[in-house]
Amino acid sequence: MNTETKQILTSDGVPLEKSLKKAEKINKFKALLLVVPLLLFLIITYIAPIGELLTRSVDDKMITSMLPETFKAMEKWDGQELPSEEVFASFLSDYRILVKAKTQGKLGQRLNKEKNGFNSILKKLIRKMKTFEEGNYKEQIISVHKRFGDVSYWRAIKRTAPPYTVAKYLKAVDMYTDENGDIVQVEEGRRVYKKLWVRTLQVALFVTLFTFLMGYPIAHLLATIPMKYSNLLMICVLLPFWTSLLVRTASWMILLQQQGVVNDFFVLIGLVSDDDRPVMMYNLVGTYVAMTQILLPFMVLPLYSVMKTVSPSLMRAGKSLGGTPFVSFWKIYFPLTTSGIGAGSLLVFILAVGYYITPELVGGASGTLISNMIAYHMKQTLDWSFASAMGLMLLCGVMAIYWIYNKLVGIDNIKLG
Amino acid sequence: MRKLSKLLLAISFVLSITSSAFAVTVASWGGAYTNSQKLGYGDPAAKKLGIPVNWVDYSGGLSEITAQKEAGAITWDIIDVYAMDTINGCDEGLFVEFDFDNDFGPGSDGVKATDDFFAPMPSKCAVGNILYTWNYAYHNDKIGSKKPKTIKDFFNTKKFPGKRGIYKNPVSNLEIALAADGIKPGKGGANIYKALNTEKGVQRALDKISALCNDPNGGCVFWSAGAKPPELLMSGEVVMATGWNGRFFGAQMSGAPLVQVWDGQGLDYQYMVVVKGGPNEADAMKVIKEMMSTEGLAGSAKHIAYAPFRKSSLAVIAAGEPWYNDGKTNMLPQMPSAKANTKNYFLVDAVYWADNGTELGEKFEAMKAALK
Repeated sequence: MNTETKQILTSDGVPLEKSLKKAEKINKFKALLLVVPLLLFLIITYIAPIGELLTRSVDDKMITSMLPETFKAMEKWDGQELPSEEVFASFLSDYRILVKAKTQGKLGQRLNKEKNGFNSILKKLIRKMKTFEEGNYKEQIISVHKRFGDVSYWRAIKRTAPPYTVAKYLKAVDMYTDENGDIVQVEEGRRVYKKLWVRTLQVALFVTLFTFLMGYPIAHLLATIPMKYSNLLMICVLLPFWTSLLVRTASWMILLQQQGVVNDFFVLIGLVSDDDRPVMMYNLVGTYVAMTQILLPFMVLPLYSVMKTVSPSLMRAGKSLGGTPFVSFWKIYFPLTTSGIGAGSLLVFILAVGYYITPELVGGASGTLISNMIAYHMKQTLDWSFASAMGLMLLCGVMAIYWIYNKLVGIDNIKLG
Repeated sequence: MRKLSKLLLAISFVLSITSSAFAVTVASWGGAYTNSQKLGYGDPAAKKLGIPVNWVDYSGGLSEITAQKEAGAITWDIIDVYAMDTINGCDEGLFVEFDFDNDFGPGSDGVKATDDFFAPMPSKCAVGNILYTWNYAYHNDKIGSKKPKTIKDFFNTKKFPGKRGIYKNPVSNLEIALAADGIKPGKGGANIYKALNTEKGVQRALDKISALCNDPNGGCVFWSAGAKPPELLMSGEVVMATGWNGRFFGAQMSGAPLVQVWDGQGLDYQYMVVVKGGPNEADAMKVIKEMMSTEGLAGSAKHIAYAPFRKSSLAVIAAGEPWYNDGKTNMLPQMPSAKANTKNYFLVDAVYWADNGTELGEKFEAMKAALK
C-alpha cells in the first residue's frame, strides 16, 4: 500500500508530492511578498536601531584609531605610576597629528567623559606645545598643567585603548574597572544609577499594583451593568485616555500642590489645618497618583474585554452549588480573568518602566528615573553610548519580565480583547 | 475647476519649498525669549536683507543638531545655545568658527566688534547674544513683614520658613550655595570656582543644598522650565525661587507682585552659533551679522530684560529710555548689567562646566537621590 501511495503521479508524470511542494513554494513566496513591506518596516524602524544601540554602547574604536602610537607605547605600562617618557612623547606626536587635522576636539570630548577635566588641559596643551623643545617631553607636558602629572588621567587614556568596551554597562550599575583590572564600585558620592534602577522598578511595580486594585472593580462594573450605563462609564474611562498626557499631568499639578484644589478642599472640610497642608506633590505620592490615573485605561480595557466573555451563569452556578459570594468569585470568576490581569499588568508595567515626563513634572527630587537619565545623557552630555547602554538594559529588563511571565502564566493565555 | 485647484496646490507647494530653501532657520528656546529675538532683530534683519528668517523652538542641548548631522540632513542654520554647548559643539566640529572683526560689524560708535562685545567668547564658534542672571525672587504679599535681602536669606529657613524652588541641574546652584555659605565671590566669582575646583568645595556646596532641602522648615522644589519659578511663587508652592531675571521681569510686567533679589547671583551669557554645513550657511552668516549688530541687540531688549552683548547697544538703550515696549518702563535698571544689580555676583564659568559638568551632574543627582 505504501508503494502505491508513493507512485501517485500528476498528468505530466511528476510525483504528486513534488508538484504539490512546488505549488506551495510559489504560494509561500507570494505570501512572503505580501508581508515584505511590514517586514522591511520592522527591520528598518525597530531591529536596525536596536542593533545600532548595541554597537554604539560597546564601540570605542574612535579613540583607538586616534592615538595609535600612545597605545602601543602604553602596552608595557602597568598603570601604577606615571608612564615613561616614551608614552608622553608618543602621545604628543599623536596629538600633534590630530591638531593638524583639526579633529582634536573630538578626542578632548571623549576623554573628558572618561575623566572630567581632561578637555581644558588638552586645549591648553595645544597652545603650549608650539614652543616645546626637543626631548624631555614628560616634564614639558606636566608643566602645561599639573593634571598631566596625575596618574589617573593617564589611566583614563589606557582604559579607552580596546576598540570595544563594556565600561558603559558597568557605569550604569555604578561600577568601573580600576587600574588592576578589577571591577569595583565608584566612590560613594557618585553612586546614583543603582538607586535609580531600584526606584524605576519600584515605581513601575507599585503603579501596576495600584492600577490593578483600581481597575479590577471598574472593569467588573463595566462588564456587568446594563449597556446604556456601561457605555457612559466607558466614555468616562476613555475620555482621559484621549486627552494629552501633558494636559493630564499639568492638571494633577493643579490639583495636588500644597495650595491646590485638593488641599483647599481638605482645609475647607476641616480635615487638616491651613498651616499643615499635606505634601502630595513633588514626591513619590504625586508620581504614583498621576501615573496610576494616566495608565489606568491600559489596565481596564484588557480586563473589561476578558470579563465580558465570562458568562454570568457561571457565578450563579457557583452560588447555587453552595458557595458564598466570595468563594464563588475567588474559585470561578477570578481564575477566568487571569489572562486579562496578565495582559493589563504587562502593558502597564512596560509603559511605566519607560515613563519620564510625568515623574519629572510631579515627582520633584524623587521624580528622576532611569529614563530621565537616558534623556539627560542624550541631550545634555551627548554621551550617546552610555544612553544606548542604559536603553538596552531597560529593554533586556522588560524582556526578562516578559520571559518570566511566559514561564509562569504562559503568553498564549494573554488576552488583549 | 478641479484641475485649477490642483494646479494652485502644486504651485503653492513648489513655492513653499523654494521659499523655505532660501530662508534661514534659527533654533531658540521659545516663549517670551524667542519672541523678543524675533521682534527685536529677526524680523528687521529679514526685512533689510530680503532673506526670510524662520524661528523654531528647541529645549537646549546639542542632541538634535548632532542627530541632524549624523543623518546628513541638517535643517538648522543658527542656534541659540548655552556657553557650555558652544565649547562642546565647537570641539565636535559642529559649528562655524568666526573671525570676529570680519564677520561682525563695528558698533554704532565705530568701535570694532571684539572691543564692543562685553566679554571674550568661550569658543571661536560663539557670538554673544545676551547677558542674563540666575537670581532669586519672592512673592511680596506672601513673604510676611520681613523681606529677604541677601543670598544668605535664601538659605535661612528660620527667618523665612517654606519651600524653595531651585534649578534641577547643578549649574549655578553650587555657586549660589557657596556664596551663601560665606565665600566672597571675588572678581567674576574667582574665589567660588577656586573652591569648586576642590572636592571639598563641591561637597560643601552639595551639603549646603541638601541641608536646605532636608530641613523640615525648608524643602526644595526642583524646576526645569524657565516659566516655572514665577508660577511656583504665584501659587504659593514656594516662598522663594531661583530663576532667570527676564522671566521674573516678565511676570512683574504682567502684574505679579514679585520682588527680585540681586545678591550673590550668577551672571551668564547666552550665545549664537552658525551650523557648519547648514542648509544656507552663506545667508546665515549675513543674517547673524545683522542680528548681532548694535541696533539688533538693542531691539531685543525692547521686549525682555536681558542685557545686550554689545556695550554700544546699552548706549542706544540709555539714549532711548523708556525702552520697554509698553513705552513707560525704563529698561536699564532691570538689566543684570545695571550697577545696582552687580554689587555681589559671580560669572558662570563655562569652561569649568564644560570640563566638570558630567561628574557634577552625577554628584548632584546622587545628592537628590539621597534626600530624605
